Amino acid sequence: MIQLENITKSYKKNHVLNNINLTISKGEVVTLIGPSGAGKTTLLRLLNWLEVPDSGKITVADAAIDAAKYTKHDVRNLRGQSSMVFQHYNLFKNRTVLENVADSLIVVSKMKKKDAFEKAEALLKKVGMSDKLLDYPANLSGGQQQRVGIARALAVDPKVMLFDEPTSALDPEWVGEILHLIKEIAAQGMTMILVSHEMRFVRSVATRIIFLEHGELVEDSNPKDLFEKSKNVRTQAFLQKLTYEEE
Amino acid sequence: MGKIFDPEFMIRSFPEVLQALPTTLFIAFVSGVIGLVIAFIISFIRYANIKILSPLAKVYISFIRGTPDLVQIMLVYYGIPLFLKAINEKFGTSFDVNGVPSIAFAIIALAINAGAYMSETMRSSLLAVDSGQLEACYSVNMTRFQALRKVIIPQTIGIAIPPLSNSLISLIKETSLVFTISIVDIMAQAKIVGARSFRFFEIYIVVSIIYWVVCAVVAFALSKVEVYARRYERKVDS
Ligand SMILES: Nc1ncnc2c1ncn2[C@@H]1O[C@H](COP(=O)(O)OP(=O)(O)O)[C@@H](O)[C@H]1O
Ligand SMILES: [Mg+2]
Repeated sequence: MIQLENITKSYKKNHVLNNINLTISKGEVVTLIGPSGAGKTTLLRLLNWLEVPDSGKITVADAAIDAAKYTKHDVRNLRGQSSMVFQHYNLFKNRTVLENVADSLIVVSKMKKKDAFEKAEALLKKVGMSDKLLDYPANLSGGQQQRVGIARALAVDPKVMLFDEPTSALDPEWVGEILHLIKEIAAQGMTMILVSHEMRFVRSVATRIIFLEHGELVEDSNPKDLFEKSKNVRTQAFLQKLTYEEE
Repeated sequence: MGKIFDPEFMIRSFPEVLQALPTTLFIAFVSGVIGLVIAFIISFIRYANIKILSPLAKVYISFIRGTPDLVQIMLVYYGIPLFLKAINEKFGTSFDVNGVPSIAFAIIALAINAGAYMSETMRSSLLAVDSGQLEACYSVNMTRFQALRKVIIPQTIGIAIPPLSNSLISLIKETSLVFTISIVDIMAQAKIVGARSFRFFEIYIVVSIIYWVVCAVVAFALSKVEVYARRYERKVDS
Protein backbone atom coordinates (compact mmCIF):
# COMPACT_ATOMS: atom_id res chain seq x y z
CA MET A 1 0.00 0.00 0.00
CA ILE A 2 2.69 2.47 1.01
CA GLN A 3 6.34 2.15 0.30
CA LEU A 4 9.22 4.50 0.91
CA GLU A 5 12.51 3.57 -0.70
CA ASN A 6 15.78 5.26 0.23
CA ILE A 7 14.11 8.53 1.10
CA THR A 8 16.40 11.36 2.13
CA LYS A 9 15.47 14.91 2.90
CA SER A 10 17.54 17.77 4.21
CA TYR A 11 17.12 21.50 4.65
CA LYS A 12 20.50 22.96 3.82
CA LYS A 13 22.86 21.12 6.17
CA ASN A 14 20.10 19.81 8.41
CA HIS A 15 19.60 16.15 7.49
CA VAL A 16 15.98 15.59 8.46
CA LEU A 17 15.45 12.12 7.00
CA ASN A 18 18.30 9.71 6.36
CA ASN A 19 17.70 6.96 3.86
CA ILE A 20 14.28 5.88 5.09
CA ASN A 21 12.89 2.54 3.96
CA LEU A 22 9.40 1.64 5.05
CA THR A 23 6.57 -0.57 3.85
CA ILE A 24 3.03 -0.31 5.14
CA SER A 25 0.21 -2.65 4.22
CA LYS A 26 -3.43 -1.96 3.62
CA GLY A 27 -5.46 -1.49 6.78
CA GLU A 28 -2.50 -0.83 9.05
CA VAL A 29 -2.74 1.98 11.56
CA VAL A 30 0.81 3.17 11.95
CA THR A 31 1.75 5.63 14.65
CA LEU A 32 4.91 7.68 14.43
CA ILE A 33 6.36 8.80 17.70
CA GLY A 34 9.56 10.62 18.46
CA PRO A 35 10.98 13.81 19.88
CA SER A 36 10.26 17.20 18.41
CA GLY A 37 12.36 17.77 15.31
CA ALA A 38 12.75 14.05 14.62
CA GLY A 39 11.24 14.41 11.16
CA LYS A 40 7.75 13.01 11.78
CA THR A 41 5.92 15.89 10.11
CA THR A 42 8.35 15.90 7.23
CA LEU A 43 7.80 12.18 6.67
CA LEU A 44 4.02 12.62 6.53
CA ARG A 45 4.24 15.62 4.24
CA LEU A 46 6.40 13.73 1.76
CA LEU A 47 3.57 11.27 1.21
CA ASN A 48 1.37 14.13 0.04
CA TRP A 49 4.24 15.79 -1.80
CA LEU A 50 3.89 18.89 0.34
CA GLU A 51 7.59 18.36 0.80
CA VAL A 52 9.80 17.07 -1.98
CA PRO A 53 12.43 14.50 -0.98
CA ASP A 54 16.01 15.00 -2.16
CA SER A 55 16.06 11.42 -3.40
CA GLY A 56 14.16 8.17 -3.19
CA LYS A 57 10.92 6.63 -4.34
CA ILE A 58 7.47 6.81 -2.83
CA THR A 59 4.54 4.55 -3.58
CA VAL A 60 1.08 5.22 -2.19
CA ALA A 61 -1.67 2.88 -3.33
CA ASP A 62 -1.88 3.24 -7.12
CA ALA A 63 0.69 5.98 -7.47
CA ALA A 64 4.46 5.86 -7.56
CA ILE A 65 6.85 8.73 -7.81
CA ASP A 66 10.60 9.04 -8.00
CA ALA A 67 12.23 12.20 -6.65
CA ALA A 68 14.82 12.00 -9.40
CA LYS A 69 12.32 12.26 -12.20
CA TYR A 70 8.66 13.14 -11.96
CA THR A 71 5.96 15.13 -13.71
CA LYS A 72 3.12 17.32 -12.51
CA HIS A 73 0.84 14.45 -13.38
CA ASP A 74 2.77 12.12 -11.05
CA VAL A 75 2.37 14.64 -8.23
CA ARG A 76 -1.37 14.95 -8.69
CA ASN A 77 -1.72 11.22 -8.97
CA LEU A 78 0.17 10.76 -5.71
CA ARG A 79 -1.84 13.42 -3.92
CA GLY A 80 -5.02 11.80 -5.13
CA GLN A 81 -4.31 8.70 -3.02
CA SER A 82 -4.15 10.27 0.40
CA SER A 83 -5.40 13.17 2.43
CA MET A 84 -4.07 14.96 5.44
CA VAL A 85 -5.45 16.17 8.74
CA PHE A 86 -3.31 19.01 10.01
CA GLN A 87 -2.14 19.92 13.48
CA HIS A 88 -3.53 23.43 13.08
CA TYR A 89 -6.59 22.29 11.08
CA ASN A 90 -5.79 24.59 8.11
CA LEU A 91 -9.44 24.93 7.19
CA PHE A 92 -10.07 27.27 4.26
CA LYS A 93 -10.72 30.45 6.20
CA ASN A 94 -12.84 32.08 3.53
CA ARG A 95 -15.11 29.08 3.03
CA THR A 96 -17.99 27.86 5.15
CA VAL A 97 -17.90 24.51 6.91
CA LEU A 98 -19.94 22.95 4.13
CA GLU A 99 -17.77 24.47 1.39
CA ASN A 100 -14.61 23.32 3.14
CA VAL A 101 -15.74 19.77 2.65
CA ALA A 102 -17.51 20.17 -0.69
CA ASP A 103 -14.91 22.27 -2.55
CA SER A 104 -12.60 19.41 -3.47
CA LEU A 105 -15.59 17.38 -4.65
CA ILE A 106 -16.65 20.17 -6.95
CA VAL A 107 -13.34 21.38 -8.33
CA VAL A 108 -11.26 18.20 -8.16
CA SER A 109 -13.74 15.34 -8.49
CA LYS A 110 -16.00 17.45 -10.76
CA MET A 111 -19.13 16.37 -8.94
CA LYS A 112 -22.34 18.27 -9.50
CA LYS A 113 -22.79 20.93 -6.85
CA LYS A 114 -25.91 19.39 -5.48
CA ASP A 115 -24.34 15.95 -5.14
CA ALA A 116 -21.19 17.43 -3.65
CA PHE A 117 -23.13 19.32 -1.01
CA GLU A 118 -25.17 16.23 -0.22
CA LYS A 119 -22.07 14.13 0.27
CA ALA A 120 -20.43 16.89 2.31
CA GLU A 121 -23.48 17.18 4.49
CA ALA A 122 -23.53 13.46 5.14
CA LEU A 123 -19.86 13.51 6.14
CA LEU A 124 -20.39 16.51 8.39
CA LYS A 125 -23.24 14.68 10.02
CA LYS A 126 -20.95 11.74 10.62
CA VAL A 127 -18.46 13.97 12.45
CA GLY A 128 -21.23 15.72 14.35
CA MET A 129 -21.10 19.10 12.65
CA SER A 130 -24.53 19.23 11.06
CA ASP A 131 -25.60 22.33 12.93
CA LYS A 132 -22.69 24.48 11.76
CA LEU A 133 -22.80 23.99 8.00
CA LEU A 134 -22.88 27.67 7.12
CA ASP A 135 -20.45 28.92 9.76
CA TYR A 136 -16.97 30.12 8.93
CA PRO A 137 -14.02 28.34 10.59
CA ALA A 138 -13.09 31.39 12.66
CA ASN A 139 -16.32 31.01 14.59
CA LEU A 140 -15.72 27.38 15.57
CA SER A 141 -13.86 25.93 18.53
CA GLY A 142 -10.65 24.02 17.88
CA GLY A 143 -12.40 20.69 18.33
CA GLN A 144 -15.11 21.64 15.87
CA GLN A 145 -12.53 22.83 13.35
CA GLN A 146 -10.66 19.58 13.58
CA ARG A 147 -13.87 17.62 13.03
CA VAL A 148 -14.40 19.60 9.85
CA GLY A 149 -10.77 18.95 8.94
CA ILE A 150 -11.42 15.23 9.27
CA ALA A 151 -14.60 15.45 7.18
CA ARG A 152 -12.70 17.36 4.50
CA ALA A 153 -10.01 14.69 4.45
CA LEU A 154 -12.62 11.92 4.22
CA ALA A 155 -14.45 13.62 1.37
CA VAL A 156 -11.86 12.78 -1.23
CA ASP A 157 -12.26 9.04 -0.50
CA PRO A 158 -8.60 8.65 0.37
CA LYS A 159 -6.93 5.27 0.38
CA VAL A 160 -4.65 6.53 3.11
CA MET A 161 -5.22 9.14 5.78
CA LEU A 162 -2.38 11.10 7.31
CA PHE A 163 -2.82 12.72 10.71
CA ASP A 164 -0.17 15.10 11.98
CA GLU A 165 -0.66 15.55 15.73
CA PRO A 166 -4.39 16.09 15.21
CA THR A 167 -5.08 16.83 18.87
CA SER A 168 -1.96 18.61 20.04
CA ALA A 169 -3.31 22.09 19.36
CA LEU A 170 -6.63 21.36 21.06
CA ASP A 171 -7.82 22.35 24.49
CA PRO A 172 -7.92 19.20 26.63
CA GLU A 173 -11.71 18.97 26.68
CA TRP A 174 -11.84 18.41 22.90
CA VAL A 175 -9.10 15.80 22.64
CA GLY A 176 -11.21 12.83 23.57
CA GLU A 177 -13.89 13.28 20.97
CA ILE A 178 -11.39 13.77 18.14
CA LEU A 179 -9.48 10.66 19.15
CA HIS A 180 -12.76 8.80 19.32
CA LEU A 181 -13.59 9.90 15.79
CA ILE A 182 -10.20 8.80 14.48
CA LYS A 183 -10.67 5.46 16.17
CA GLU A 184 -14.01 5.01 14.43
CA ILE A 185 -12.43 5.69 11.06
CA ALA A 186 -9.65 3.24 11.85
CA ALA A 187 -12.22 0.63 12.82
CA GLN A 188 -13.71 0.88 9.33
CA GLY A 189 -10.44 -0.34 7.89
CA MET A 190 -8.81 2.90 6.79
CA THR A 191 -5.06 2.76 6.32
CA MET A 192 -3.57 5.48 8.47
CA ILE A 193 -0.32 7.06 9.43
CA LEU A 194 -0.66 9.05 12.56
CA VAL A 195 1.70 11.23 14.53
CA SER A 196 0.48 11.30 18.10
CA HIS A 197 1.79 11.22 21.60
CA GLU A 198 -1.56 10.43 23.23
CA MET A 199 -0.15 7.19 24.50
CA ARG A 200 -3.33 5.55 25.76
CA PHE A 201 -4.98 6.23 22.45
CA VAL A 202 -1.97 5.03 20.50
CA ARG A 203 -1.95 1.78 22.43
CA SER A 204 -5.58 1.14 21.67
CA VAL A 205 -5.68 2.15 18.02
CA ALA A 206 -2.26 1.48 16.52
CA THR A 207 -1.45 -1.82 14.88
CA ARG A 208 2.14 -0.73 14.54
CA ILE A 209 4.30 1.88 16.11
CA ILE A 210 7.47 3.45 14.80
CA PHE A 211 9.92 5.42 16.85
CA LEU A 212 11.70 8.06 14.82
CA GLU A 213 14.71 9.98 16.04
CA HIS A 214 17.17 12.22 14.19
CA GLY A 215 15.63 11.21 10.90
CA GLU A 216 16.09 7.48 11.45
CA LEU A 217 13.63 4.68 12.14
CA VAL A 218 14.96 3.56 15.49
CA GLU A 219 12.33 0.97 16.26
CA ASP A 220 9.39 -0.49 14.39
CA SER A 221 7.15 -2.79 16.37
CA ASN A 222 3.66 -3.48 17.67
CA PRO A 223 2.50 -1.23 20.52
CA LYS A 224 2.56 -3.86 23.23
CA ASP A 225 6.10 -4.94 22.52
CA LEU A 226 7.36 -1.42 22.09
CA PHE A 227 5.79 -0.09 25.24
CA GLU A 228 6.51 -3.06 27.45
CA LYS A 229 9.53 -4.88 26.15
CA SER A 230 11.59 -2.48 24.12
CA LYS A 231 15.26 -3.18 24.60
CA ASN A 232 16.34 -0.16 22.66
CA VAL A 233 17.90 2.41 24.98
CA ARG A 234 16.83 5.34 22.82
CA THR A 235 13.23 4.18 22.79
CA GLN A 236 13.30 3.61 26.51
CA ALA A 237 14.73 7.04 27.17
CA PHE A 238 12.05 8.67 25.05
CA LEU A 239 9.17 6.71 26.60
CA GLN A 240 10.45 7.50 30.06
CA LYS A 241 10.37 11.20 29.28
CA LEU A 242 6.83 10.90 27.94
CA THR A 243 5.48 9.10 31.01
CA TYR A 244 7.21 11.60 33.20
CA GLU A 245 5.44 14.42 31.38
CA GLU A 246 2.09 12.68 31.61
CA GLU A 247 2.24 12.35 35.37
CA MET B 1 -8.72 94.43 -4.57
CA GLY B 2 -10.73 94.91 -1.40
CA LYS B 3 -10.96 91.99 0.93
CA ILE B 4 -7.92 89.93 1.93
CA PHE B 5 -9.95 86.76 1.83
CA ASP B 6 -13.19 86.45 -0.10
CA PRO B 7 -15.31 83.53 1.13
CA GLU B 8 -18.17 84.49 -1.11
CA PHE B 9 -16.01 84.22 -4.23
CA MET B 10 -14.81 80.92 -2.96
CA ILE B 11 -18.28 79.50 -2.67
CA ARG B 12 -19.29 80.94 -6.03
CA SER B 13 -16.34 79.25 -7.68
CA PHE B 14 -17.25 75.73 -6.70
CA PRO B 15 -19.53 75.02 -9.68
CA GLU B 16 -16.99 76.22 -12.20
CA VAL B 17 -14.18 74.15 -10.74
CA LEU B 18 -16.49 71.16 -10.39
CA GLN B 19 -17.12 71.26 -14.15
CA ALA B 20 -13.74 69.58 -14.52
CA LEU B 21 -14.40 66.92 -11.89
CA PRO B 22 -15.60 64.31 -14.41
CA THR B 23 -12.24 64.59 -16.19
CA THR B 24 -10.36 64.03 -12.96
CA LEU B 25 -12.57 61.11 -11.97
CA PHE B 26 -12.39 59.59 -15.42
CA ILE B 27 -8.60 59.68 -15.46
CA ALA B 28 -8.38 58.30 -11.94
CA PHE B 29 -10.91 55.55 -12.56
CA VAL B 30 -9.58 54.33 -15.91
CA SER B 31 -5.93 54.44 -14.87
CA GLY B 32 -6.89 52.77 -11.59
CA VAL B 33 -8.57 49.88 -13.39
CA ILE B 34 -5.72 49.47 -15.88
CA GLY B 35 -3.26 49.79 -13.00
CA LEU B 36 -5.03 46.96 -11.18
CA VAL B 37 -4.82 44.72 -14.23
CA ILE B 38 -1.11 45.50 -14.58
CA ALA B 39 -0.66 44.87 -10.86
CA PHE B 40 -2.45 41.55 -11.08
CA ILE B 41 -0.23 40.33 -13.90
CA ILE B 42 2.99 41.63 -12.39
CA SER B 43 2.26 40.25 -8.93
CA PHE B 44 1.68 36.79 -10.40
CA ILE B 45 4.83 36.95 -12.44
CA ARG B 46 6.67 37.70 -9.22
CA TYR B 47 4.68 35.25 -7.06
CA ALA B 48 5.25 32.39 -9.47
CA ASN B 49 8.79 33.63 -10.06
CA ILE B 50 8.54 33.28 -13.83
CA LYS B 51 11.91 33.24 -15.58
CA ILE B 52 13.09 36.41 -17.33
CA LEU B 53 9.79 38.19 -16.69
CA SER B 54 10.24 38.25 -12.93
CA PRO B 55 13.53 40.20 -12.96
CA LEU B 56 12.08 42.53 -15.59
CA ALA B 57 9.12 43.18 -13.33
CA LYS B 58 11.52 44.02 -10.53
CA VAL B 59 13.30 46.58 -12.71
CA TYR B 60 9.96 48.11 -13.67
CA ILE B 61 8.88 48.48 -10.05
CA SER B 62 12.24 49.86 -9.00
CA PHE B 63 12.18 52.41 -11.84
CA ILE B 64 8.68 53.63 -11.03
CA ARG B 65 9.50 53.91 -7.36
CA GLY B 66 12.75 55.70 -8.04
CA THR B 67 11.56 58.42 -10.41
CA PRO B 68 9.16 61.33 -9.81
CA ASP B 69 5.60 60.94 -11.03
CA LEU B 70 5.88 64.14 -13.03
CA VAL B 71 8.95 62.86 -14.86
CA GLN B 72 7.07 59.65 -15.71
CA ILE B 73 4.22 61.65 -17.20
CA MET B 74 6.71 63.60 -19.31
CA LEU B 75 8.43 60.43 -20.47
CA VAL B 76 5.11 59.02 -21.66
CA TYR B 77 3.99 62.31 -23.18
CA TYR B 78 7.14 62.76 -25.23
CA GLY B 79 8.08 59.13 -25.59
CA ILE B 80 4.96 57.59 -27.05
CA PRO B 81 4.80 59.87 -30.11
CA LEU B 82 8.44 59.07 -30.85
CA PHE B 83 7.68 55.40 -30.42
CA LEU B 84 4.71 55.59 -32.82
CA LYS B 85 6.83 57.47 -35.32
CA ALA B 86 9.49 54.77 -35.19
CA ILE B 87 6.86 52.10 -35.74
CA ASN B 88 5.43 54.03 -38.68
CA GLU B 89 8.86 54.26 -40.29
CA LYS B 90 9.74 50.65 -39.64
CA PHE B 91 6.47 48.95 -40.57
CA GLY B 92 4.93 51.51 -42.88
CA THR B 93 1.93 51.94 -40.60
CA SER B 94 0.29 55.32 -40.37
CA PHE B 95 -0.52 56.04 -36.77
CA ASP B 96 -1.49 59.66 -36.30
CA VAL B 97 1.43 60.69 -34.13
CA ASN B 98 0.00 64.05 -33.19
CA GLY B 99 -3.57 62.88 -32.90
CA VAL B 100 -3.25 61.00 -29.63
CA PRO B 101 -5.36 62.85 -27.07
CA SER B 102 -3.45 64.09 -24.05
CA ILE B 103 -5.80 62.26 -21.76
CA ALA B 104 -4.55 58.96 -23.17
CA PHE B 105 -0.99 59.87 -22.18
CA ALA B 106 -2.17 60.81 -18.73
CA ILE B 107 -3.99 57.52 -18.29
CA ILE B 108 -1.09 55.44 -19.58
CA ALA B 109 1.43 57.20 -17.36
CA LEU B 110 -0.71 57.00 -14.23
CA ALA B 111 -1.71 53.39 -14.88
CA ILE B 112 1.93 52.35 -15.27
CA ASN B 113 2.73 54.20 -12.08
CA ALA B 114 -0.16 52.84 -10.04
CA GLY B 115 0.39 49.32 -11.44
CA ALA B 116 3.87 49.20 -9.98
CA TYR B 117 2.81 50.22 -6.51
CA MET B 118 -0.30 48.05 -6.47
CA SER B 119 1.62 45.00 -7.71
CA GLU B 120 3.86 45.21 -4.67
CA THR B 121 0.78 45.42 -2.47
CA MET B 122 -0.78 42.40 -4.11
CA ARG B 123 2.39 40.36 -3.99
CA SER B 124 2.88 40.98 -0.29
CA SER B 125 -0.80 40.23 0.32
CA LEU B 126 -0.49 36.94 -1.57
CA LEU B 127 2.51 36.06 0.57
CA ALA B 128 0.62 37.07 3.70
CA VAL B 129 -1.93 34.30 3.20
CA ASP B 130 -1.01 31.49 5.61
CA SER B 131 0.99 28.82 3.78
CA GLY B 132 -1.14 26.15 5.48
CA GLN B 133 -4.04 27.26 3.28
CA LEU B 134 -2.22 26.31 0.09
CA GLU B 135 -1.05 23.05 1.65
CA ALA B 136 -4.59 22.16 2.62
CA CYS B 137 -5.64 22.75 -0.99
CA TYR B 138 -2.88 20.48 -2.22
CA SER B 139 -3.79 17.85 0.36
CA VAL B 140 -7.21 17.46 -1.25
CA ASN B 141 -5.51 17.43 -4.65
CA MET B 142 -6.43 20.85 -5.95
CA THR B 143 -4.11 22.31 -8.59
CA ARG B 144 -2.31 25.54 -7.88
CA PHE B 145 -4.76 27.36 -10.11
CA GLN B 146 -7.79 25.91 -8.29
CA ALA B 147 -6.23 26.77 -4.95
CA LEU B 148 -5.62 30.34 -6.04
CA ARG B 149 -9.13 30.76 -7.33
CA LYS B 150 -11.05 29.22 -4.44
CA VAL B 151 -8.92 30.02 -1.45
CA ILE B 152 -5.81 32.11 -1.93
CA ILE B 153 -7.04 35.01 -4.05
CA PRO B 154 -10.22 35.64 -2.04
CA GLN B 155 -8.11 35.85 1.10
CA THR B 156 -5.55 38.02 -0.68
CA ILE B 157 -8.22 40.50 -1.61
CA GLY B 158 -9.32 40.85 2.00
CA ILE B 159 -5.74 41.56 3.01
CA ALA B 160 -4.99 43.84 0.06
CA ILE B 161 -7.94 46.20 0.17
CA PRO B 162 -6.67 48.67 2.79
CA PRO B 163 -3.28 49.23 1.08
CA LEU B 164 -4.94 49.23 -2.36
CA SER B 165 -7.31 51.85 -1.09
CA ASN B 166 -4.29 53.96 -0.18
CA SER B 167 -2.85 53.49 -3.67
CA LEU B 168 -6.12 54.53 -5.23
CA ILE B 169 -6.22 57.66 -3.13
CA SER B 170 -2.64 58.49 -4.09
CA LEU B 171 -3.68 58.04 -7.69
CA ILE B 172 -6.58 60.45 -7.34
CA LYS B 173 -4.21 63.01 -5.95
CA GLU B 174 -1.62 62.37 -8.64
CA THR B 175 -4.14 63.25 -11.32
CA SER B 176 -3.48 66.83 -10.24
CA LEU B 177 -0.24 66.60 -12.23
CA VAL B 178 -1.92 66.12 -15.58
CA PHE B 179 -2.49 69.85 -16.08
CA THR B 180 1.20 69.86 -17.10
CA ILE B 181 0.27 68.13 -20.33
CA SER B 182 -2.58 70.57 -20.94
CA ILE B 183 -5.49 68.51 -19.68
CA VAL B 184 -8.21 70.52 -17.95
CA ASP B 185 -8.80 68.58 -14.77
CA ILE B 186 -9.98 70.30 -11.58
CA MET B 187 -6.46 71.50 -10.91
CA ALA B 188 -6.14 73.13 -14.33
CA GLN B 189 -9.63 74.52 -14.03
CA ALA B 190 -8.68 76.05 -10.69
CA LYS B 191 -5.66 77.70 -12.23
CA ILE B 192 -7.86 79.19 -14.95
CA VAL B 193 -10.42 80.55 -12.52
CA GLY B 194 -7.71 81.74 -10.17
CA ALA B 195 -5.79 83.56 -12.87
CA ARG B 196 -8.91 85.39 -13.95
CA SER B 197 -9.69 86.65 -10.47
CA PHE B 198 -6.25 86.69 -8.85
CA ARG B 199 -7.80 84.91 -5.90
CA PHE B 200 -5.55 81.86 -5.96
CA PHE B 201 -5.76 81.09 -2.26
CA GLU B 202 -9.54 80.85 -2.26
CA ILE B 203 -9.53 78.74 -5.36
CA TYR B 204 -6.98 76.32 -3.98
CA ILE B 205 -9.13 75.92 -0.91
CA VAL B 206 -11.95 74.99 -3.27
CA VAL B 207 -9.78 72.40 -5.03
CA SER B 208 -8.49 70.95 -1.80
CA ILE B 209 -12.01 70.53 -0.47
CA ILE B 210 -13.03 68.73 -3.66
CA TYR B 211 -10.05 66.36 -3.52
CA TRP B 212 -10.67 65.78 0.15
CA VAL B 213 -14.31 64.89 -0.31
CA VAL B 214 -13.60 62.61 -3.25
CA CYS B 215 -10.83 60.80 -1.39
CA ALA B 216 -12.92 60.47 1.75
CA VAL B 217 -15.83 58.99 -0.19
CA VAL B 218 -13.55 56.50 -1.94
CA ALA B 219 -11.91 55.50 1.33
CA PHE B 220 -15.28 55.01 2.97
CA ALA B 221 -16.64 52.93 0.10
CA LEU B 222 -13.57 50.71 0.09
CA SER B 223 -13.74 50.21 3.84
CA LYS B 224 -17.24 48.82 3.30
CA VAL B 225 -15.91 46.52 0.58
CA GLU B 226 -13.21 45.39 2.97
CA VAL B 227 -15.74 44.46 5.61
CA TYR B 228 -17.50 42.33 3.02
CA ALA B 229 -14.30 40.73 1.74
CA ARG B 230 -13.31 39.77 5.28
CA ARG B 231 -16.76 38.65 6.40
CA TYR B 232 -15.43 35.19 7.23
CA GLU B 233 -13.12 36.44 9.94
CA ARG B 234 -14.02 36.15 13.56
CA LYS B 235 -16.53 38.71 14.61
CA VAL B 236 -15.47 40.73 17.59
CA ASP B 237 -18.38 41.10 19.97
CA SER B 238 -18.98 44.71 20.76
N1 LIG C 1 10.49 24.25 5.81
C1 LIG C 1 11.57 23.98 6.58
N2 LIG C 1 12.72 24.64 6.40
C2 LIG C 1 13.80 24.35 7.16
N3 LIG C 1 13.84 23.41 8.10
C3 LIG C 1 12.71 22.70 8.33
C4 LIG C 1 11.52 22.94 7.57
N4 LIG C 1 10.57 22.09 7.99
C5 LIG C 1 11.14 21.36 8.97
N5 LIG C 1 12.43 21.71 9.17
C6 LIG C 1 13.37 21.09 10.12
O1 LIG C 1 13.32 19.71 9.94
C7 LIG C 1 13.45 19.02 11.17
C8 LIG C 1 12.30 18.05 11.33
O2 LIG C 1 11.09 18.76 11.43
P1 LIG C 1 9.69 18.05 11.58
O3 LIG C 1 9.54 17.05 10.50
O4 LIG C 1 8.68 19.12 11.67
O5 LIG C 1 9.86 17.31 12.97
P2 LIG C 1 8.75 16.74 13.94
O6 LIG C 1 7.43 16.79 13.25
O7 LIG C 1 9.21 15.36 14.22
O8 LIG C 1 8.79 17.59 15.16
C9 LIG C 1 13.50 20.10 12.24
O9 LIG C 1 14.85 20.27 12.60
C10 LIG C 1 12.98 21.31 11.56
O10 LIG C 1 13.59 22.45 12.09
MG1 LIG D 1 5.66 17.83 13.78
